[in-house]
Amino acid sequence: MSENSMSSTIISRANIAVNRFGYGARGDELAQAEKDPKQWVESQLKPIKFNGDFPHSNTILIEHAKYQKEKKRQKKQQRKNSQSRNMQDKKKAKNFSRIALRNMSADTINQAIASSNSVSWRLLDFFSNHFSVTAHGQLMVGLSATLEREAIAPHLLGNFEDMLMAVEPHPGMLIYLNNEKSFGPNSRMAKKRKKGLNENLAREIMELHTLGVDGGYSQADVIELAKGITGWSVKRPGKERGEGFVFRAYGHEPGARKLLGKTYSQKGIAQGSQMLRDLAMHPATAKHVCYKLAHHFVAQNPPASLLKEMQATWLKTHGNINAVMRCLFDADDAWLNSTQKYKAPREFVISTLRALSLKKYNDKALLSTLINLGQQPFNAGSPAGYSDDELDWLGASALMARIDWSTKVSGYSKRVNTEKVMSRALGSSVSELTYRSVLRAESRQQALTLLLMSPEFQRR
Amino acid sequence: MKKPKIINNSDDLPTSALSRRKFITMTGAGLAVLSFPMSSAFAFEGKKQLASPKIVWLLLRGALDSLHTIVPTFDQQYKTLRPKLSTSFKSPLLPLEKGFALHPSLKNLHQWYQEKSLLPVVAVYSGYPKRSHFDGQDYLESGKGEIDHDSGWLARAIEVKNKRALAVSRSTPISLRSSDQVNTWYPSNLKDADEDIYAALDKLYQNDESLRASLESGLQVRGLVGDKKGKKKKRQGKFIDLSKACAKLMVGEQGVDCAMLELGGWDTHNNQGTRLERNLAELDQGLAALKSGLGEEWRNTVVIVGTEFGRTAKENGTGGTDHGTGSALFLAGGAVNGGKVQGNWPGLKAEELFQQRDLMPTTNSFSWIANVLSQHWHFTEQELKQVFPHVKPYEQAIIRS
Repeated sequence: MSENSMSSTIISRANIAVNRFGYGARGDELAQAEKDPKQWVESQLKPIKFNGDFPHSNTILIEHAKYQKEKKRQKKQQRKNSQSRNMQDKKKAKNFSRIALRNMSADTINQAIASSNSVSWRLLDFFSNHFSVTAHGQLMVGLSATLEREAIAPHLLGNFEDMLMAVEPHPGMLIYLNNEKSFGPNSRMAKKRKKGLNENLAREIMELHTLGVDGGYSQADVIELAKGITGWSVKRPGKERGEGFVFRAYGHEPGARKLLGKTYSQKGIAQGSQMLRDLAMHPATAKHVCYKLAHHFVAQNPPASLLKEMQATWLKTHGNINAVMRCLFDADDAWLNSTQKYKAPREFVISTLRALSLKKYNDKALLSTLINLGQQPFNAGSPAGYSDDELDWLGASALMARIDWSTKVSGYSKRVNTEKVMSRALGSSVSELTYRSVLRAESRQQALTLLLMSPEFQRR
Repeated sequence: MKKPKIINNSDDLPTSALSRRKFITMTGAGLAVLSFPMSSAFAFEGKKQLASPKIVWLLLRGALDSLHTIVPTFDQQYKTLRPKLSTSFKSPLLPLEKGFALHPSLKNLHQWYQEKSLLPVVAVYSGYPKRSHFDGQDYLESGKGEIDHDSGWLARAIEVKNKRALAVSRSTPISLRSSDQVNTWYPSNLKDADEDIYAALDKLYQNDESLRASLESGLQVRGLVGDKKGKKKKRQGKFIDLSKACAKLMVGEQGVDCAMLELGGWDTHNNQGTRLERNLAELDQGLAALKSGLGEEWRNTVVIVGTEFGRTAKENGTGGTDHGTGSALFLAGGAVNGGKVQGNWPGLKAEELFQQRDLMPTTNSFSWIANVLSQHWHFTEQELKQVFPHVKPYEQAIIRS
């Protein structure tokens, strides 16, 4: 079979449906997709609803304020009475944020593992990474995991504009990119307290969230957008009444703005809102986001014809994500019958646990695995998010870490029938070499490790 | 089915396995002291049973080539069938009785043979008629004459005698399934995967250049493969560590009555001379570590070393051997009445081979194991039926009285 390169292993459409577009087959999904792969993928697009088991960002803001206060009190007390340090340690306020982050991160992954519509979970992960926030610093530790739940998931199959309008004013985003303290140079606030403009969020909105770095905006546009969203801030619990987003009118830069050639003479919050809505519908945004989607779901270098169709659909449907994804699934170019991408660690871990039909994986183990493999949730460290390029994941030590983890998981899975797992995960899209290597492995553990580490399972 | 309780000090476990775990760190290897809630009553209130007879079951996964391990130097056919392999030994073979000889890597085992505490058995098989590793191992582990993934012979044996067992493994192997007196233990931080997996992956990646390149540089970084000058592999002795840990968990008042160890790397389709030289040394040193770790308890111990099946009598075209039938069994330990070679030699002429290809098995592994149970753990015929419903024990005196 595969004589020269990976590309000679032909993968079936059902395999593509399940592995390229979803998180890999769980149970008999591959067989389900066999009947009509395209129809199966489209039926996978379902809204994702998170239940209320985990704290809302507002609660986290309140708890954080309490935690800060408690810490301050303890410090004071410690200074007074430095000998009873042990007692104080015990009384130390529980770190609410860290627990929330861990629980929510693991919950999302566990739901993706158990899901019967994993294509939607892949899409959620895509946008969560598109609007990447990092859990650095006390407050972001708690807030980072709430963004995808509160601002992204509710609009996952809706219009991109609505998602953008939910993401940018979310406390997680405002604080992560420092907009909560960005005030117009001519605002009352600035005059009184000498606070000024912070361009961070405005720049990333244009560079990463909407137009893209080559989207045709200038430094002047960055400043104009930054001024347009001055005053978009977050309440400080304990010091102010209420919590969550607040528009501080006294911090908003007065006057009309000019962004990308268009004048915005709205007053107050309406000004920034209109700017964001226009950015969402800008053709450069369609181009940028469609490229990223195709690059993620289809291929390292997505075909131009596919991009063109997706962009046209975007502009025609007011950036409707559902419609754009259906357009992608509809295009023959998306179904190239050789593997196109190397799974990122998160995809690899989730698809492995789905292939093994595990219901749930220990939270701590799950997160430490992702740390070891290099993709800790909410820890990309940059608003650009984690890389979607093979070269960034296929390093030597990264591969060794995958082998170690596969060996570990296979050691726990002694009851697993590897041949069955192989047929359920990959169907007939397995090279003779892989098939034989797996079946001739000297033990079940080795067989499963080989399957998980095979090019067919590592790529999609 | 009764669920075995699992103890492991790894934090990388599926949720179910984490519940009810208890750790007390022991010195050195960071071993967890095992706790058996079901049996704590007799463990603590019972009288000290320092002299309780112990069994260690070591499964060599991958099919050990017995002809390269217990070499039949007297058999005229041997050199004809194996012109390369028979001349691949780097030092002299270690002589046993009847013209058999041990592989030179098995120095400690040979020492034990001379002390009459090693009993090699030639030409055995489990009764498994085909040549699949997985099925062969499952068959040997379940011991029922058919494959039962939920019940193993060692588990049934400890149930009968109300004993406690330990599997040095991440999850319970079939041999120890169906008893709730079983714990598992494995070191928490597996640094490297088995070496064999790297070799297998290297082969698997032959058509995927980028994966292959990453694998090879990854291996170089870890020092697991030689650089171009051909330096020796660095990593050694993982089995030694497991054996040491196993011994620790078997001694003392709360030590378990029996344990299971596993060792892979025996599927030597190519380059068998070099591979077995290394692997048999690892086996030999590991068992020596087990002996020294057991200390006084070695006197009361029987180690049973088995493998799923044997390999072809004739060497193949790549300096190795392929899946076969008849293999060997080792009984080792202070309680063993050894110093001779057991089993009937079938001969290696074409018509003497099984399907003109494999060593013909002449005795059944389970009957030997049943013999151990009856002489070492004093199983009655009735009790043995619960463990091996289909076999009868042999009657040779293989345990010291």
